[in-house]
Amino acid sequence: MPAKPSARDLITDSPKRLLRQSSLWALVSGGLWPLQAGLIAWTVAQWAAGELGPAAWAAAAGFAVLGALRAASDRISARRAFAAADEVIATQRRIFLDREPLRIDRSRSSADLAALLSEKLAMLAPYISRYTPAMSRVRVIPLLFIACTFYVSWIAALILLVAGPLIPVFMALVGMAAKEASEKQMAQIGDMNALLIDRIAALPDIRLLNAADRSRADFADRAEGLRKRTMAVLRVAFLSSTVLELFAAIGVAMVAVYIGFSLLGEVTIGAWATPLTLGEGIFILLLAPEFFQPLRDLASAWHDKASADAVSDELRALAEETRAPVLGLGAVAPRLSGPAELRFDGVSVNRGGACRALPDLRIAAGESVAIRGPSGVGKSTLLDLAAGLLRPDSGTILVAGQPLTDETADAWRARVAFVPQSVHVPDITLRDFLDPHGSGADLDAALERARAGAIVAALPQGLETRLGETGAGVSGGEARRLLLARAFLSGAEVILADEPTADLDRATAAQIIAALGDLRAEGRTVVVASHDAGLCAAMDRVIDLEGRA
Amino acid sequence: MTRLWRILRLIWSADPWAMSRGAALTVVVLIMGAALLGLSGWFITATGLAGVAGIGIAFDVFRPSAGVRFLALGRAVARYGERLLTHDATLRALAALRITLMQRLELWPMEALRRLRGASALTRITADVDALDGVALRLALPVAAAVITHAVAFVMLSWLVALPVAASIAVGYLVGGGLVLIRVALRTLEPSTRAEAAMQALRRGAIGLFRGQREAILQGVVPDWRARLDAEEAAARAAQDHLDRIDTGAGMALSVLVALITALVLGISGPLIAAGQIDAAEAAIGVFVALALAETVLPLRRGVAELGRMRDAAERVLADRPTGAEPVAAAVRKPAPDAAKGLELIDVSLAHPGRSMPMIRGLSLSVAPGEMLAISGASGAGKSTLLDAIAAVTPVAAGEIRCLGVPLGQWPEPELREHLALLPQRSALLAGSVRDNLEIARPGLSDAEAEEVLRAVALHRVVEMRGGLAAPLGEGGAGLSGGESRRLALARTLLRRPEILLLDEPTEGLDSETARAVVAGIRRFLPQSVIVAATHRAAEAEVADTRLDLKKYIPDL
Repeated sequence: MPAKPSARDLITDSPKRLLRQSSLWALVSGGLWPLQAGLIAWTVAQWAAGELGPAAWAAAAGFAVLGALRAASDRISARRAFAAADEVIATQRRIFLDREPLRIDRSRSSADLAALLSEKLAMLAPYISRYTPAMSRVRVIPLLFIACTFYVSWIAALILLVAGPLIPVFMALVGMAAKEASEKQMAQIGDMNALLIDRIAALPDIRLLNAADRSRADFADRAEGLRKRTMAVLRVAFLSSTVLELFAAIGVAMVAVYIGFSLLGEVTIGAWATPLTLGEGIFILLLAPEFFQPLRDLASAWHDKASADAVSDELRALAEETRAPVLGLGAVAPRLSGPAELRFDGVSVNRGGACRALPDLRIAAGESVAIRGPSGVGKSTLLDLAAGLLRPDSGTILVAGQPLTDETADAWRARVAFVPQSVHVPDITLRDFLDPHGSGADLDAALERARAGAIVAALPQGLETRLGETGAGVSGGEARRLLLARAFLSGAEVILADEPTADLDRATAAQIIAALGDLRAEGRTVVVASHDAGLCAAMDRVIDLEGRA
Repeated sequence: MTRLWRILRLIWSADPWAMSRGAALTVVVLIMGAALLGLSGWFITATGLAGVAGIGIAFDVFRPSAGVRFLALGRAVARYGERLLTHDATLRALAALRITLMQRLELWPMEALRRLRGASALTRITADVDALDGVALRLALPVAAAVITHAVAFVMLSWLVALPVAASIAVGYLVGGGLVLIRVALRTLEPSTRAEAAMQALRRGAIGLFRGQREAILQGVVPDWRARLDAEEAAARAAQDHLDRIDTGAGMALSVLVALITALVLGISGPLIAAGQIDAAEAAIGVFVALALAETVLPLRRGVAELGRMRDAAERVLADRPTGAEPVAAAVRKPAPDAAKGLELIDVSLAHPGRSMPMIRGLSLSVAPGEMLAISGASGAGKSTLLDAIAAVTPVAAGEIRCLGVPLGQWPEPELREHLALLPQRSALLAGSVRDNLEIARPGLSDAEAEEVLRAVALHRVVEMRGGLAAPLGEGGAGLSGGESRRLALARTLLRRPEILLLDEPTEGLDSETARAVVAGIRRFLPQSVIVAATHRAAEAEVADTRLDLKKYIPDL
């Protein structure tokens, strides 16, 4: 029978080894308690017998030394468990970061993913460092204490034996509720993060639309939902540990009452020594709560397992998504050799559920081409394919005479400057944005050629300005010109531009067209997606995408 | 630390009644736990003594054993109640705090909002608020309860047992435990701050990378991003490891302290029994209570170790809003607008925000209801700034703007937005359905109205093809092309049905045929409104009743 997938699968061999060590030390600590209990029991028995000599101090010192050893074992155990958790989380984070940055067209919000990477992955830690060791303690320590108790009194051992096994049955029932509650909580965390990142980005619009109250009400719904979901998880957790405490309390109380009656001589069965001695009574009384302790630890860690299972389900679902990564690694690579040309042969691509066939293209090095067609016909898709951001479902794309593959994509992109329709500006200075690899090339000349020199001159901090995420701080036309300046700067031999004149006034658009012409005159290949008649006319050739959708 | 105090008051005040009951139960749980073990130890020892003395029959076993059962069950129930009450009250307070933070963010100056990085504001409302949940739950309540419990235990032990035993326990725990915990607080302050900062940086970095993913891939900087994220993660892990080392070290120190205190009580009890001050059963109370009180100090270290993280989070959560232009429309009283007056600008001069260049000077104009004005001018000439000023987003340097006959300064902002709407040059859509995006502007939108407005902006076919109003959009409206997003944002603004409609490049990114259809649609949808469009395109200029070139108003340099 294939095991149901759970968070346990995430624990690989190396953390497993650490966890075994952790369990071992926990067992050492558990094994020391009967000795400590024995010393207390002996001392109290001595008191009752009127033996009040200095031997009690020796017992007390022994108790303290054993206590210190126990504390040290506990610490080592906890440290190993922490290391195991740390390793598992680091591994999962690495897997996540190896994969996700290269998969575009996410259905999940960036903030939702980031919450998974930080907040939710961290929820694996208590499962690994608390639940797993508690589970292994539960398997050994109660048995050890039952054996110790049995050595003194079989009735007391029987009481523990009856109270103990009821607990796992109950916990299994709680476990199912806990899993569901945790899954809902995880979903709600993602929801709230996704809504927030969107609403924060749209705050200026929301305010202009006088929709702040409504938007906040949506957010309040999510925040309140998260509170309810979190509380539901906690309620299950509190309930399960309370029930366990009740079981433990009843068990301990019964043992205590049995000991009391035995000591009074009213009960004479159940113990090997008749009657039970005071020392023996104290000894098993001190063991009884510790018998239940691993079970209680397990109960209070029960919802940790549920949370971890929910997180691991989410990780698995993400891993199994069928989105293909972009071609290549998105890394710097030496420029691909060969002429800066582009060919599409029988390319089709599945985007948004619809299969879209693209016309065959032959764009020679140094040629300038306008891809024309109405909005939504696939102009941007074509540029994405040419830049290796999308994988064609069929057909081949040849760049510089070679197939565009994982091996060639980064090297091809090193020769490409892409001017997208909308820009996301990372939180860096304008200088670093324009020259991401610090080439030290002549920024001023590039800015001048893109007619963007005046924009930078007008910014109070010039090239050291940090722009807003969507380019706030400069107008739409200015942001576009800065992007063009970057294309000039990078010395790219292939310019892919998505509507480069879209938000420029006529005069500036004409300048940009002229600048693109300059690039062409230098022998660079220029491909623009546009429906601007002026821009189309300035290109060598126009390819119409109409009717191909 | 005064900030933590403010946070504690805030959490407490969300539901003071539940919190005080929870706090009372916290103390009850600890006292019952100590009483339970003390009573059990006394009971067993006393029965043992009675059995040996042969007076077992006379010994009252029922009251003590009932007491043991009551304490055992009562404690479990009290703990359940305590946890439920305090957690519920805290989570309520934190949910309310998130909403308050959102509300405060909305009131930021528009300029600051436009430059705001979503990821950092997000971590404020999520991670920072989450970090504060321990202020009451793991710090204030358990510390206060521990101190109270020790006071009660001291009084009870000196009454039931003996002063030396009571004093050993109280001094041992309060001084010894106090020292260990203070040391934990001092040593963890820095790493706990560092761990949280690195974790938040990782989260912000991941959001930044995912939001700018295409850009990062195209520039070949994915490995650079990755290296930064890895560095943050390594920093977080190192700090967390450091914290765990301190935490487990403190746990060990506290356990040793418990063993020492118990051993001390074991040791000093013998001579006290010998002196006849107490009997063996009473001595057992001391030993068992000493063991039980471990529960008061062991859990404290976790809350104390979070002090640095909490303090920083509190500081960020309680931070003041950024400085910037005071809101223009900040009146309190509702004005009496006159729709016939339309829009009037009287001798208006503008300065570009944050720039040194002079802008527009001496601009006067008026636009009557049902008329459209097209404003042209080169990029950066001040078209957007002028629209911002008319929309009361930024102040004018001189002159006056009147909306429906009322100067902007005499409007309360929400009231003004009911009559005047601005479509900025850049607008953000929301994840969700097309309908969600429209409903944000008009709650309870009917299908007919939605279709009407989508038709006006020539988007109805696109929406139909995508599956109608329920068609899902990704983050920030991802899934639509540039032009489609633009038109959906426009539709959203039109749905406000403002008397004054300001449009900044409304047809940007549209082919001229669509652009013409959209401009005609706008006028059809709002025939009685004042429309002012900043534009460089023919589509708007052709349809406009009046045209204005800003060139004339730019002062010579």
